Amino acid sequence: MKFSDAKESLLDFWREFRMVKSGLFGLVLFLLFLAIVIFEPFILPFPDVNKTWRDITYWEENPKGAPPVWINWFSAKKRPLTQVFEDPKNTESEMGNMKMVSTVFEYELQADYSPQDLIFKARASGEPMFIVTLKRPDGEEVTVFQNSINLGNKVTDVRITLNGNGRENAIYFARPYESDENYAVITPKLVKAADVVFSQAKEGIFRNPETLKGTYEIVVQTILRSANDQYMEPRLVVPGKAFGVLGTDALKRDIWSGVLAGVKWALLIGILTAVVSVSIGVIYGVISAYLGGWKDGLMQRIFEIFVSVPLLPVLIVMSAVFKPSIWTLIIMMSCFFWTGSVKTVRSIALQIKEETYIEASKALGANNFRIIFKHMVPLLIPYSFASMALYIPGAIVYEATISLLGLGDATIVTWGQILSDALSSGAVLSGLWWWVVPPGLSIAFMGMAFAFIGFAMDKILHPKLRTR
Amino acid sequence: MYWKYLLKRVLNGIIIYIILIFIYSALFNVVLEQTVYAQIEERVRAETMALSGRNMTPEQILKWSVDRKEYYYRQYRLDRTVFERVLLRAFNTLTFNYGMSSGIKSSSGTRDVRIIVTETIPRTLLLFMTAMVIDVLIGLLLGIKKAQRPGKPLDKTTSIATMVVFGMPSWWLGMLMIMFFAYIVKLFPSGGLHSTPPPEGFAYYIDTLYHLALPVITLVLLGFWGRSYLTRNIVLGVLQEDYIMSARARGIPERKVLYGHGMRTAAPPIVTMALLALLASVSGNIVFEGIFSWPGMGNLYWISVQQNDIPVLMGNLSLTTGLYISGLVILDLVYGFLDPRIKVGGKG
Repeated sequence: MKFSDAKESLLDFWREFRMVKSGLFGLVLFLLFLAIVIFEPFILPFPDVNKTWRDITYWEENPKGAPPVWINWFSAKKRPLTQVFEDPKNTESEMGNMKMVSTVFEYELQADYSPQDLIFKARASGEPMFIVTLKRPDGEEVTVFQNSINLGNKVTDVRITLNGNGRENAIYFARPYESDENYAVITPKLVKAADVVFSQAKEGIFRNPETLKGTYEIVVQTILRSANDQYMEPRLVVPGKAFGVLGTDALKRDIWSGVLAGVKWALLIGILTAVVSVSIGVIYGVISAYLGGWKDGLMQRIFEIFVSVPLLPVLIVMSAVFKPSIWTLIIMMSCFFWTGSVKTVRSIALQIKEETYIEASKALGANNFRIIFKHMVPLLIPYSFASMALYIPGAIVYEATISLLGLGDATIVTWGQILSDALSSGAVLSGLWWWVVPPGLSIAFMGMAFAFIGFAMDKILHPKLRTR
Repeated sequence: MYWKYLLKRVLNGIIIYIILIFIYSALFNVVLEQTVYAQIEERVRAETMALSGRNMTPEQILKWSVDRKEYYYRQYRLDRTVFERVLLRAFNTLTFNYGMSSGIKSSSGTRDVRIIVTETIPRTLLLFMTAMVIDVLIGLLLGIKKAQRPGKPLDKTTSIATMVVFGMPSWWLGMLMIMFFAYIVKLFPSGGLHSTPPPEGFAYYIDTLYHLALPVITLVLLGFWGRSYLTRNIVLGVLQEDYIMSARARGIPERKVLYGHGMRTAAPPIVTMALLALLASVSGNIVFEGIFSWPGMGNLYWISVQQNDIPVLMGNLSLTTGLYISGLVILDLVYGFLDPRIKVGGKG
């Protein structure tokens, strides 16, 4: 087969393929996924997601289990979004040896829910004292935190959170407003400080708080005990109750970033497994048909053994025992996937074998290798492409299933792993649909894209099934 | 001649099973022996603890525990060569002697892996067979309808639906179904085989059906599209044969052409397809049980992976393989029974 022949037959194929609308739709979807892979660095909201998916500190500024931002468009009660305040006003005052720096952040709350938390971050050294005060629009003041932190001589990170450090103070602030019978019902240890301090100071502040809208002032006073002590880069994060395109999970990770990062792995797993296994299957089938006789019989026996293996259980056990990386998993899957195409290929190859041009090239003294790879395998290329396309979804689902059981490669982000985390954190039970739906939908969409392509090719290859 | 074919197929299946068990034993020997070593270690430690009441010097105790370990190594034949050990393990597995689990208990409380695994088999079969029967029935009816009017709206839309669900993981749909029907609408239970405590008498079966409903609906919802698509292709292929055209030309009513002439030829591949679908479903969707906490074999895979219980995992795998191969053999036998060409030929 010359290059021009191949080009011509490919063009022919394309002309036919163009007529099948569903196939074109699949192709567009596939190109869309490909575009996501290529432009991934530009569209990822968290560019380091590939390295830091399992690093909790990278995600700590995000809200926990927050729904997507666009949920606000559909609901009457609006959720606050995450806000970050950097470079605030610092006022310094000297008090003898000590120095006091007070940093003021202004937070405007117009949503119908309180934000999830307040996270104050800075870098400091020595043993400074921090006083964090929240000035509410109704004139009340809540001291969130008041303590000194021993940081040593090196400049280290300071992190003060409202929920982590301020619960007692919040309860102390709100207790006078709440009625006794309401307070008796709640469990003080489960009170979230952020729900209380951003709520209207009246009865029900614990049980069913109503958000107090207006401008809040968060004042952080830092008292440095000696001239050597340092204090810099103060920063306030107010995690909202809605986040990003697809929300966050229970570990505060941005699901949209995870789903985007999973695209390339799904494509890689699917395409690589399909290409390797179909190639093996086609070559195996052709060789078996061509050789014939006892060699064919032996190869069919070996094939039968592979067919008799229940695929998923074996993959599960192998993954549980050998803890494979993604590459090993692809090899393992290819080891079993190749059987699917052998039977059809063998029957087609048995027909090709009887063609006169095979006989002619035999008479010309061509060796087996040449006949198999030059005259037989190329004829099966269209068939292989169709079955490759139909294998890809299967491979992706198998990897996702292995990951769902917690046996996936922990160094990468795949859709199956996101779903595995969702399942083990009880996302189904607590209704975090934005954690469960998108990764699975991505698997389904990718499967759909290749199914459309594969079925369209299948239709072209089997004209009998075409609808008149 | 059919019995000869039958015997051949069954023997062939048994041989493949033996070969596969041998491969498993060789492949997983190291891990399985690690669990045995750990179990022996645990046992000797327990025995040594029991000794502490008697008057023995530390050296004596040490020597005693070393002796005991040696004794157990001999008993479990860990002192033999690797080849012998693999052979022995394969033999044990073939005789359903899977040993003790390292933690999982059966519902009656034993740690015998054979009992743990066998008690899950009927539950898995119940779930998947129920789903498959409904699945195939709907698929068959829809498929014939599709083949009768190829290219018409019904055919087109259902074909597109086939492709839409093609790469959808069943367990994911299960998660969504639970989320919607168990927690939001509260129509079905979220999982399990029956409610706790299980009701008595007739209500017990109703309760089981009630728990069966959601997983079966999920499986059917994903399955019947593919089944109908395949049926359509088989029937459509048959309907284009010359003898169908000649039957039509003779003026035989269309219903009779379809069911009398067409389906007779289409039946063997359709039956094969249904059985093959059942096998593929058991082998591919097995994890699906874990989502619904349906205590079958798939759920056992889930539990044994989480608890890292290698003996249960291996026992489960061996029995799954056995069942799978039996399914394949039955498939061949049914096909041979339905297809006269194989029945008469016999030589195969």
